[in-house]
Amino acid sequence: MLPRDCSRRLVTELQGALDACAERQLQLEQSLRVCRRLLQAWEPTGTRASEPPPGPETNEEDPPPACTPSPQDLKELECLTQALEKAARVRRGITKAGETDKAPSLKSRSTVDPPGTKAFAPPRTPGRAGGHASDTRPTKGPCQTTVSAKGHSERQLLSLGNKTRVGTGAWAPRPGPGLRDQQMAPSAAPQAPKAFTLKEKGHLLQLPAAFRKVASQNASLWAQLSSMQTSDSTDAAAAKTQFLQNMQTASGKPQPRLSAEEVEAETGRLWKACSLLRLRMREELSAAPTDWMQEYRCLLTLEGLQAMVGQCLHRLQELRAAVAEQPPRPCPVGRPPRASPSCGGGVDPAWSSQLLVYSSTQELQTLAALRLRVAILDQQIHLEKVLMAELLPVVSATQLQGPPWLTLCRAAHSLLCEGGARVLTVLRDDPVD
Amino acid sequence: MGRRRRRVDPAAGALPEAIAALSRSLPSGPSPEIFRRAKFDRPEATPALWQLLFRVLAPLPLDNALASLAPEVQARLVKSALRSQGYPRLALAQLPEDGSQGSRELLLALSWLLARGPVPEQMLAQTRVPLGDEMTVCQCEALASPGPPAPQVRAEEPVDVRHVQWLMGKLRFRWRQLVSSQQEQCSLLSKIHQYTRGCHGDQSLGHLSVAEAEMLRDPEGGQVSGVGTPRNLDLAYPKGLHFSCTPGMGPRTFWKDLWLVCEQPCLLLACSLLSPLRALLRTLECENRRLEAVLAWRRTELVFWRWMDTVLDTCAPGAPAATSQGTFLPRIPEHRGGELELVAWELRALQEELQEAAERRRAAWEAEAGGCGRGPEWSAVRRASREAVETELGALRRRWEQDRDPAQPHGPRRLVRREDGAAGDRDLRAAEVIRTLRSQEVCLEAVLRQLQGQCRQELARLAGALPGLIWILPPGR
Repeated sequence: MLPRDCSRRLVTELQGALDACAERQLQLEQSLRVCRRLLQAWEPTGTRASEPPPGPETNEEDPPPACTPSPQDLKELECLTQALEKAARVRRGITKAGETDKAPSLKSRSTVDPPGTKAFAPPRTPGRAGGHASDTRPTKGPCQTTVSAKGHSERQLLSLGNKTRVGTGAWAPRPGPGLRDQQMAPSAAPQAPKAFTLKEKGHLLQLPAAFRKVASQNASLWAQLSSMQTSDSTDAAAAKTQFLQNMQTASGKPQPRLSAEEVEAETGRLWKACSLLRLRMREELSAAPTDWMQEYRCLLTLEGLQAMVGQCLHRLQELRAAVAEQPPRPCPVGRPPRASPSCGGGVDPAWSSQLLVYSSTQELQTLAALRLRVAILDQQIHLEKVLMAELLPVVSATQLQGPPWLTLCRAAHSLLCEGGARVLTVLRDDPVD
Repeated sequence: MGRRRRRVDPAAGALPEAIAALSRSLPSGPSPEIFRRAKFDRPEATPALWQLLFRVLAPLPLDNALASLAPEVQARLVKSALRSQGYPRLALAQLPEDGSQGSRELLLALSWLLARGPVPEQMLAQTRVPLGDEMTVCQCEALASPGPPAPQVRAEEPVDVRHVQWLMGKLRFRWRQLVSSQQEQCSLLSKIHQYTRGCHGDQSLGHLSVAEAEMLRDPEGGQVSGVGTPRNLDLAYPKGLHFSCTPGMGPRTFWKDLWLVCEQPCLLLACSLLSPLRALLRTLECENRRLEAVLAWRRTELVFWRWMDTVLDTCAPGAPAATSQGTFLPRIPEHRGGELELVAWELRALQEELQEAAERRRAAWEAEAGGCGRGPEWSAVRRASREAVETELGALRRRWEQDRDPAQPHGPRRLVRREDGAAGDRDLRAAEVIRTLRSQEVCLEAVLRQLQGQCRQELARLAGALPGLIWILPPGR
């Protein structure tokens, strides 16, 4: 068994790492859920609970055909009517919510926003295809985007009744005798009120106008803020420095002691220094100098590095002294945030309008994987340091020689030297006699 | 103390304006009247200032546990946080925590914080609602612990080392899980970006983000898969609104952001009755107001600083009394000394290695070129080499001395997919980031291997003391 405080620290640290990973996993899973839902067929919103979801099942209940239209036409009409029904529901839902121009431009199959015409005629029952009142919708549709290329499947759907506007990607199917002449896409027939999928029609979406306005205002304000950041007024900066100095002198202390945060920051810097110096040393030692000048430079570099390490150690002594004279300070809430060795702290507000551009899925995956790998390595290194600080003293202090100590040794080796991945074997070497 | 040259003309009006802008730009900003009262150390201004300081200093995420602490506890946390940042005045530590007096001191503390860093901007950046799919490039908060552990003090019994091994194994499994989930998410995200190409009004973005697409899919929030409630209680939606592709931002949810912005839990309830679209619009509008306030503050802050000088003057220079620590909250004991010791060990080991290598090379050099390296032209060459090495090492030193690597910008960025990969001058390209990350990875792996090597040596030394045993190392890599 490990000593009490050692156990506590190890368990706390490991549990903290586990919690952080669990938290991150939760975030990822929630995000995955949202993304998956977005990529599936979108179901119409509004009074969804009371409506049967559209889909293949509704096609099975084909209404009995009237006498005159052919079964094919009736089927087409059925699809059309269902689409209109859905549009009506959506429309009702939209007006009910009172959002006039916030309506997303695309609901399941057809959202029509005809200028000027408010009334939306209720859907007609199938069988009246012959004598319909003109219910032509101006096929202006919501698709005012600049995208002109339209998917083939979408055109097929639109060609239901649409004689003229195929090219502009208008939406609303037009009932009419023209139905008979048009052909319905074979893929559309069995699943006529085809739900909206991002894959096919994603490029037709349009953000609501109110949102666009607020979002662009937001973006421009952030841009102003970040440009103001970079051109900070020197007057204000001077006034601030003066004020800080005045505060310092008024407090009666001659010189600021090192605050705990500064000690932590310095420690982080020293870690960084250590790893950079070590890397540099390795580079120098592995480089093969070809002439004496390079050798001389190599020598000078090594000696320079040695001097720098000496300075770091000196700084460390100062820090140690500063820490020793401060009473142990409590951390206000829980664990102190660990200063990452490769990045300084502080939130820089001047990031708002900057983008990260990628060009393929592969690239994004590589980027994210590397990012995660670096974070995991960070965590691993931190844990390694903690384990070293806790386990090595225990192993060296334990005086037992029997199996318990061997177990401890094996475990310590596995944790410290193999990252917990492999375990070594210990054999007793009995002399043969 | 000399009087500063006072601005005659619009100073009278500029100060209230500046203070008003400041209070609008801060969350739960007190009214300008409070500031004025605080100058004269009026007691009624104290509670508001304690609250404000707590909001500024409290670590995010500001969850309910933190927000519902008693005022005395909040005051103690403020004191402790200020001390840890090095606040110079001792009078603050001696203030009573019940909010009965000390408003002037609190005002000074607030100004001290404002002078040291861009506090309103930082607070805005922390509570910003991201509209795009964001990824942080730097390592801040990477897989950071999510705040205080659930039970403040864990089981105090000593554990067996096998328990530690088990925990480690669990952790390794979770890492693997994260990697695979992450990959899947990236591919889905990329698809969504691809399919919504051409939709966004902003040409530089070009496609929708997950949050925007989700908002279009379900603006009413009525889509609750499988649950009958028509109103928006689907938590995946607000959380999906905040997407972070990496171990980046902490667990900020949409609702937390709303609370932080709207400041009142009752408003949160009201917002929860709104559709997400409306709630989002309202949040954005709030944020815009605060942004405008910050811009106004930055324009007029000079007047404020001059006023603060006068406030400082009115303070009697108090003699620093003996520092009484007061009672602090229960804490997890810190091992700051331990960390320093580790660094010391590392540095000493490095020093030994360098010493040995340098001496060896020096001896070899002296032996070889000692004779011919004395002439005048040689010394010029030698001086040049020395200078070159000094410059290089100086650059190396700067890399760890400055807190932030300027080449690696900070903060989350919006992910944008572009087939041609064209990027503006302020934008980052994924290829560059990948390069940087790879080099970081190599660096970190080297550090890890080196630490492990040290452990190996140490353990070998300890185990070698025991005769009669054979240690078979696992098959190495």
